Amino acid sequence: MGLFEKQFEDNVLTTNVDWLLNWCRLSSIWPMTFGLACCAIEMMAVGCAHHDIDRFGAGAFRASPRQADLMIVAGTVNFKMAERIKRLYDQMPSPKYAIAMGACATGGGPYYKYGYTVVKGVDRVVPVDVYIAGCPPRPEALLEGLMKLQEKIQASSVIRKPIHTV
Amino acid sequence: MSTTKTYEPSISRTEGRPLAGGEREYMIDVRTQDMEVNMGPQHPATHGVMRVLVRADGELITGAQPHLGYLHRCAEKIGESVEWLQYLPYTDRYDYLAAMNNNLGYSMAVEKLMGIEIPRRAMMLRTLCAELNRIGSHLIAIGTYGLDIGAFTPFLYMFREREWMMALFEKICGARLTYSYIRIGGVFNDAPPGWLSEVEAFCDTFEVKWREYYDLLIQNHIFVKRTADIGVITREMALDFGLTGPMLRGSAIDWDLRRDTPYELYDEICKDKAFEIPLASGEKGTLGDCWDRAWVRAMEMMESIKIVRWCLDKIEPGPVIGDIPKTLRIPPGEAYVGIENPRGELGHYVVSDGGKIAVRCRVRGPSFVNLAVLEELMPGALLADTIAIIGSTDIVVGETDR
Amino acid sequence: MNFQGIYDRIRSIQAPGVTGMDEPREPNPQDKKDKGRSGDPYVLVDPQRLPEFLECLRDDPSLKFELMADLTATDPSKEDGYLWINVQLLSLVRKHRLAVKCLLPKENAVMPSSVSVHRGAQWAERECSEMYGITFEGHPDPRNILLPEDWIGHPLRKDYEFPEEYHGISCK
Repeated sequence: MGLFEKQFEDNVLTTNVDWLLNWCRLSSIWPMTFGLACCAIEMMAVGCAHHDIDRFGAGAFRASPRQADLMIVAGTVNFKMAERIKRLYDQMPSPKYAIAMGACATGGGPYYKYGYTVVKGVDRVVPVDVYIAGCPPRPEALLEGLMKLQEKIQASSVIRKPIHTV
Repeated sequence: MSTTKTYEPSISRTEGRPLAGGEREYMIDVRTQDMEVNMGPQHPATHGVMRVLVRADGELITGAQPHLGYLHRCAEKIGESVEWLQYLPYTDRYDYLAAMNNNLGYSMAVEKLMGIEIPRRAMMLRTLCAELNRIGSHLIAIGTYGLDIGAFTPFLYMFREREWMMALFEKICGARLTYSYIRIGGVFNDAPPGWLSEVEAFCDTFEVKWREYYDLLIQNHIFVKRTADIGVITREMALDFGLTGPMLRGSAIDWDLRRDTPYELYDEICKDKAFEIPLASGEKGTLGDCWDRAWVRAMEMMESIKIVRWCLDKIEPGPVIGDIPKTLRIPPGEAYVGIENPRGELGHYVVSDGGKIAVRCRVRGPSFVNLAVLEELMPGALLADTIAIIGSTDIVVGETDR
Repeated sequence: MNFQGIYDRIRSIQAPGVTGMDEPREPNPQDKKDKGRSGDPYVLVDPQRLPEFLECLRDDPSLKFELMADLTATDPSKEDGYLWINVQLLSLVRKHRLAVKCLLPKENAVMPSSVSVHRGAQWAERECSEMYGITFEGHPDPRNILLPEDWIGHPLRKDYEFPEEYHGISCK
């Protein structure tokens, strides 16, 4: 702060409400710890120091859905789990977002044809905002998915109906 | 969520839990109502999506019932629906922390039916990768165990080494987690130039870092207090439930498939006395407690480094895969191969009728068998110890449910 | 001990329920249809006497099969009238293995539970029972383990048909 100290008079920043609120929201997306299968290990890797999801303000993994904004569905969803996912999603406070991480959560993945208990895509249970390809996706892919979600939040409107979405 | 019901407690209230030195901690005349507490399926400390229905009398657990199946992915049905080689990627996905070991187990079972020889360099690379993956798996096992019971920092440190290990695997096969590197008849391709020296550099660093983890976590006073004397598995219990791997060695039963039913190159490695089998001794408390199991895992990482070094020392140029056709027709027969996975005996029972598709592809997941002991371990423990006990079994839910 | 030694010992102590054995063999060059058999040898046991057999092998001092590594079933084909029960035994002291196989008729798939001998069989039997529809008599906790409680059918049977929908979620 030394560079800016005593350089400026008191200032007024003008912006619009949407931008400000969206900026607040997208900079502090709290995900829920919700690892299901293999992708969960990559999600843990993203949380750790090498990839560091904290850079995007999304590092505060919450154990309770009531404190979370984002559900990263990391792994295969089967029928037994689907009902629980629905309930957990319903417990999250709005605005809430969901990322389908990996091929299984997107559309059944390798278990599409013969997986008799596998739900062919978590979007049959909860609405999904961002799909990430890969089996499992690399940590960078998850970070890109998060950035896409941030773009989507930035484009949304708080007081109006959204004009365009990403 | 909890429901209150009245149950006959399965242990008497005056029995309490055992302490070190043969004493017991008594809890007399605490009149409480039995309560059922659901742990999971979404719970950060159940290592995936497992649900444990804990019945507690105040702080004292009177019964626990694991509920599985939240990640049932029909691996065995797929095994008898797709071709032999096509099934290999699915083996990556049941124990996703030790995918190399799964590839190895499945390949060995099919090779046993085919009765083929594996090139020596391929066997070296297989052993090397399996042991490297064992290190990676144990790093997660211990790291998340620390995380579960409140030590966050070692987890971050251990992921640093794991990232390095995954980078090594990425160089050799192109994937970070699901490798499909070990194929039927050998390995997918040769190590890229300079890869072996990178592995050596990893070993050098890891030996230094391992000491750090050992002092920071395993010998940490708080860690010892949380895990010693908790969840004691006796010798009889271990055999009765068919436990294998570190769970068995944590109860001082001297058994390791690598040494006792040698496969691949472990025969030679044992002859050279290149590695030892760490056995728990009940150093910090009762023999067979949670700390012993964590200790066994920590020591095994160092033994794996020794095996990796042995392979680096002995590896010679040569072919890495035999002449294997794209569509395999396996001679009729049935074979069971058990190998030492980081979690215990990973068995593959394959049946062929001479066709392109298996008749049966059974996976004996060590986590599935090891987890069954939970029902026996929990009663008598305190509610806070639930996490310590579940963590010490080191399950991978992909494998318990398959 | 190798398989022949184990089998001789089983015969000499008259372990209950043994009906025979099968070993891998080379294909017959004269007969083109005979492809031989590869893999492991196994002992054939009567499924109704499996627990007694396992107990006998566990307590025998020179066999000492004290650890049941695996218990599973196999449906060889749609036409076949029998299910196989496959048990893998392991001796930690003697360092040998044994594969045991039972033939259980599909029509009346009922057999006694081995939980009283090896408690590790408990979950394995639960899995077998939901996947193949085998009833284990005397099992302490015969619920489904991997599948939901209200699941219809036994998925690992060869004649299993995949469900259309489950609780309103389409399976296709």
